[in-house]
Amino acid sequence: MSRFDPRTLGDELTFTEVLVSVVLGFVALALLLSLAAGRLGPSYFLFLFGLAGMYALLSLGLNAQWGFGGLINFSVAAFFGIGAYGAALMTAGNSPIAGGFSPLIGLIVALLVAAIVAVAIGVPTLRLRADYLAIATLGLAEVIRLFLRNERQWTNGSAGIRGIPSFFEGWPLLGTFPQTMPTLEIVIVVGSPITLGTQFWRQLLNVSLLLAFLGGAFFVLRRAQQSPWGRVLRTIRSDEDLAKALGKNTFAFKMQAFVLGSVIMALAGVFYAHLNLFVNPGDLDPITTFYVWVAVILGGSGSNRGALLGGFVVVAIREGSRFLNDFAWFPIDGAPLRLLLIGLLIVLVMRFRPQGVLPPQRELIWPSAIEGSSTPERPTSGVRERKGGSGGGGGNGNDGGDNDE
Amino acid sequence: MEAEAAEATETTEATTMSDQPESTVATESSDVTATPQVGAVEDKDDVVLRVDDLQKSFGGLTATDHATFEVERGTITGLIGPNGAGKSTLFNLISGFYEPDGGTVTVNGTDVTGMEPYKVAEHGLIRTFQTPRKLEGMTVREAMLIGPRNQPGESFLTLFTSPGTVAESESANLAEAERILEEFEIDHLATQPATDISGGQMKLVELARAMLAEPEVLLLDEPVAGVNPTLAKKLKSQIRRLHEQGTTFVLIEHDMEFVMDLADPIIVLDQGHVLTEGTPDGVRSDDRVIEAYLGGGA
Repeated sequence: MSRFDPRTLGDELTFTEVLVSVVLGFVALALLLSLAAGRLGPSYFLFLFGLAGMYALLSLGLNAQWGFGGLINFSVAAFFGIGAYGAALMTAGNSPIAGGFSPLIGLIVALLVAAIVAVAIGVPTLRLRADYLAIATLGLAEVIRLFLRNERQWTNGSAGIRGIPSFFEGWPLLGTFPQTMPTLEIVIVVGSPITLGTQFWRQLLNVSLLLAFLGGAFFVLRRAQQSPWGRVLRTIRSDEDLAKALGKNTFAFKMQAFVLGSVIMALAGVFYAHLNLFVNPGDLDPITTFYVWVAVILGGSGSNRGALLGGFVVVAIREGSRFLNDFAWFPIDGAPLRLLLIGLLIVLVMRFRPQGVLPPQRELIWPSAIEGSSTPERPTSGVRERKGGSGGGGGNGNDGGDNDE
Repeated sequence: MEAEAAEATETTEATTMSDQPESTVATESSDVTATPQVGAVEDKDDVVLRVDDLQKSFGGLTATDHATFEVERGTITGLIGPNGAGKSTLFNLISGFYEPDGGTVTVNGTDVTGMEPYKVAEHGLIRTFQTPRKLEGMTVREAMLIGPRNQPGESFLTLFTSPGTVAESESANLAEAERILEEFEIDHLATQPATDISGGQMKLVELARAMLAEPEVLLLDEPVAGVNPTLAKKLKSQIRRLHEQGTTFVLIEHDMEFVMDLADPIIVLDQGHVLTEGTPDGVRSDDRVIEAYLGGGA
């Protein structure tokens, strides 16, 4: 992770990493084939990709809190909702309060509100034991959802907000990109041509926006993880008293991680508002929080790559199970099976690979600092192999926190 | 090579040990024989840590009962006492983990009473813990790198505004960590997972890490509890070496042989207050200390 050298790339990867890469390769190939065969609509595929990326973004946010600092946040859906509603209320034509602002302003306002709410919930709870944050955020999620549902004069209540513009509306060039692009028709398999119309170009823009968000968040988090800042947070996760005894202001570190994670979650919400063009209080259902926790645990707590993978896998199961209904012989409806599958998956992961699929495995020291030193580059095997990724709760009783949910 | 170094320190230690009673503490030890020292010795020269009239009770239990003592810069001060004498409570009070009911703690001339532990640490008082704290998922050198105080890379914004400064200090800290690990003769563990090393090695790493924080005074809570004799000896020679380099230590220890060999002066705690203070020999022959340990007291 610290140094890129193509010659040693093969040696550096662990067995799991190779396995995951191969499986991902096959999945990508299968998707490409079904796209080419016209079985999967390209716009729908991009929409799904956007959804998956959104979950990946949420997982990155939660990873910054739980994975880095051991903070248990059950408000993922609430921060997501703050982002989505913030953007929607600022930009939508029929917004009951502001409305009509540029999506960029909506983005800034949404992230600011998320940061303020995060600070407000963090101030009373982050000085206390880890459990209190968990309880407070559990409550916060419901408070925010019920607020959005019931304060009709500000939020339109359960009717939700319609008429949200796409993120690039009003931008020069990009604003009219989907309309100006010609409709293309590609025939690869005779009889099922692929049509790339306005809808496709719109989704393509959305996906580019998502990739920019994801790339930015990943860059920030990776640098943070390899820094002394991230190291202090890992110490707090293992043993907060030790960090205190070595002169670290643990409250400030936890607050920073909490706000950072919450802002990334809100970013996912902003993206969702401009992807779906409609938000309603149902988007804040606690199930979202649950999916994101599953994604982080599945991917490997503390691992940014793991969070990405987890986000994609959760959406693959969520959306993939819809296709089961196509098979007439299959006796069960896809929707209830989805939850069963995810539950089963998490049980299997906990039983056979508690540290997650892609746990952080290499030591995290500022990359350029190691390059200059004369000592061995890094341990030959993963340093975290032995450890259960969900652990690290130390004396705080966090250990059970993740799999209880 | 190792053995030689150890022998060398053994001999220097032998000389200092035999020297000390006559030269520095001569007056004190004569005091002890004349009238037994009651409470701690006060009005020391260069005080780095002063504990004044410290009180703490948990419900009806008085854990620290008007404890008063001073730690002189450049000493290894031993803190002994029977189980329940309040040694660990005292450490927690001094380092800010507990809030005292009354009294003051002064580090380096600054009143740190009631401050958060990290603030106390910022004033130069670093502590270790009785049970080694394991850092899951870190290598030993990663765990070492938590030690240095005020690293520029601990500020989230600096990571993005001036990554060069972060890289510079990280390189310097890494080099320093490796130097200290070498001095502790555990540099071969540098890239081992911190959870895979033995309890004794963990204690060595803790001590080494505490040194990276450049403490004015270092509080060691039972440094050799549960450590095998070979490693205990190694720890002892390391503490002695660091002491010779100028670090001030305060240590709690139940291993009498260890503490008597290393520390001078020794402060004896009993039921939350300071019973007496003196040289190892003075304390060992003090009837009240023996009585406290045998539980005659009340």
